[in-house]
Amino acid sequence: MAFYSKLFSEIFHERELLFILAKRDVSIRYKQTYLGVIWAIIRPVLTMLVFLFAFKNVAKIKDISGFPIQLIIFSGVIFWNLFANTFQAVSNSILANNNLVSKVYFPRLIIAFSSIAVSLFDFIIGLIVYIILSLFLVHTLPITFILLPVAVILVLLFSVGLGLLFCSYSIKYRDFLQMIPLIVQYGFFVSPIVYTAQSLQISNWFNIYALINPLVGVVEYARIILIPTYHVASFDFIYLSILTCFVTFFVGIYVFTKKESSFVDYL
Amino acid sequence: MKIVEVNNISKKYNLNQLAEPVSLRNGIKSLFSKQEKSKDYFALNDVSFSINKGDKLGIIGNNGAGKSTLLKILSRITNPTSGNIQVKGKVASLLEVGTGFHPELSGRENIFLNGAILGMSKKEIKAQFDEIVDFAGPQISNFLDTPVKRYSSGMYVRLGFAISAHLNPEILIVDEVLAVGDADFQKKSLGKMKEVAANEKTILFVSHNLTAVSNLCNKTLHLEKGKVKQMGDTSQVLKNYMSEVQSKKMYFSAETFSSGLGNELIRLKYAEIKPELAKDLDYWTINDPFKLHFEFWNTLDDVDLNVSIHLYASTGECIFNIGNKPARFNAGVVSTDIAIPGNFLNDGSYFLSIMVVKNSSIVLANFEELFEFEIADFRENTTWYGKWPGYVRPNFPIEMKQLTSKI
Repeated sequence: MAFYSKLFSEIFHERELLFILAKRDVSIRYKQTYLGVIWAIIRPVLTMLVFLFAFKNVAKIKDISGFPIQLIIFSGVIFWNLFANTFQAVSNSILANNNLVSKVYFPRLIIAFSSIAVSLFDFIIGLIVYIILSLFLVHTLPITFILLPVAVILVLLFSVGLGLLFCSYSIKYRDFLQMIPLIVQYGFFVSPIVYTAQSLQISNWFNIYALINPLVGVVEYARIILIPTYHVASFDFIYLSILTCFVTFFVGIYVFTKKESSFVDYL
Repeated sequence: MKIVEVNNISKKYNLNQLAEPVSLRNGIKSLFSKQEKSKDYFALNDVSFSINKGDKLGIIGNNGAGKSTLLKILSRITNPTSGNIQVKGKVASLLEVGTGFHPELSGRENIFLNGAILGMSKKEIKAQFDEIVDFAGPQISNFLDTPVKRYSSGMYVRLGFAISAHLNPEILIVDEVLAVGDADFQKKSLGKMKEVAANEKTILFVSHNLTAVSNLCNKTLHLEKGKVKQMGDTSQVLKNYMSEVQSKKMYFSAETFSSGLGNELIRLKYAEIKPELAKDLDYWTINDPFKLHFEFWNTLDDVDLNVSIHLYASTGECIFNIGNKPARFNAGVVSTDIAIPGNFLNDGSYFLSIMVVKNSSIVLANFEELFEFEIADFRENTTWYGKWPGYVRPNFPIEMKQLTSKI
């Protein structure tokens, strides 16, 4: 415990650097683009439209759940993007900033943490679109909406933790970099992003699956608080997912901190 | 009070790993295969020294001596393999100018970014913002809101240095950053460094520029192949360092014809290159005239001989080729003397070759790169310590006078 409190106080001490690096990433994100921030809207909307087309026109699936399928997909997609973008950014953060790492010392976690900013920024834009979509489709936003930061924090804990693990190992073994696109590509389909977990919930391995892939529990939790009348049969799997989020985060930080002093020798 | 203490630090790199790309496969392989003998390379080997508060330490040594590794360990960028360091106080390291500049961001944004990276607080940067811009020069202040990717490299470097110059740490670690910008800006930078040096700050300064080291630093550490060769007062260390690097290849002598250098026609008996003042100064500087003396065995009777001397810069360019008029010689020993004035060659490393030529056309013997020597910089009454450009550095008189007092 002392290990983590010392670490976090060190990070707090360097918070100005953390913010300015985050600000740098956000402000260059859409530099020299004509549409600018609109790209943050286009991406999730396009993903949703593609799956709507696939489900309604190609597969001819009727509404499975009785909830507006647009909201199901869009809520899944913005949370998936938050996970995928954060995970990739954190995994690459040290290599992408190797000019800093090899020239100046400050706690390397600052770099990893600051790389969250861009995906969080895109998430907030996506969330605004979601709110508009929700007001338009179901004319309401449930009061449980105020619990949304909890879901966001859980996704960040998991994606940062996993990102730190990949970051720590990929600096020495670049093989880990090759795995990242695979995880992002297939994870999308094995997590309940464009479908709900309700169809899976009857399986006896479901709780174990929610423990291994915490996005299952967290995305479902987000839907419960975002979509009016959305409900799940049992909450157990959500608690298991939350457990994994915390464990991944603290293990990620531990491994990263143990390895950070050798990063520069392999860059 | 000791402010920096370095105790027996070593930094080991595994040569196998450096040669072969690290991959998971090799990692797994090495888990199972018997530990093969790893070739270790010590960038630093058992280095210890300490410096007091207010000391300005110059760190010198050839390429690969471990200077950069030492700076990286002192600035906590990498850890030593063994040993420990104790640093008391806030450290700022300047291993390059403009660390972390982002090309898409404006000059203004980069000042805050770079400042924060180097350890300044936002408040500190704000307080010194105008001063920084002022120091960087008028060109920068006009383009403060332009992305730095549109800056010329000179502007980039000036802005970077201006920020660094306003750092306020207790210990400053500097790596060759003075060798940037045009002469005018270098003068300004060095002035700032001297100002910093004048107050109680501790500086560690790596440089190839011995003139700058001798002017800025009271102590000098000489590293050689990862070990401390010498540490002490700057003047003493520099003296020993120079006399050592300069005694490269400046003398040749053979007792008998068969042991001489050359072929069946011509054999070198004796050759020496001798700076005139270096004996007193201990090392050879650009203002020092030097003499070249050599003797060779000639086996031919009644032959027209002359010599041809080539001087090359370390980069391979020929700086001059001189020859003399042929004269008639008989078999025996022939001696030759050449005097080259001071204030002629610039500082640097040189190679010298000697040819013996018959009838001014047939090369009888060619002693390639017979001598290798180094000439050090020497300056008086100047505040500029950048590398003096050019291969030659003659001291031609320049006359300048006021013509009128009206405009």
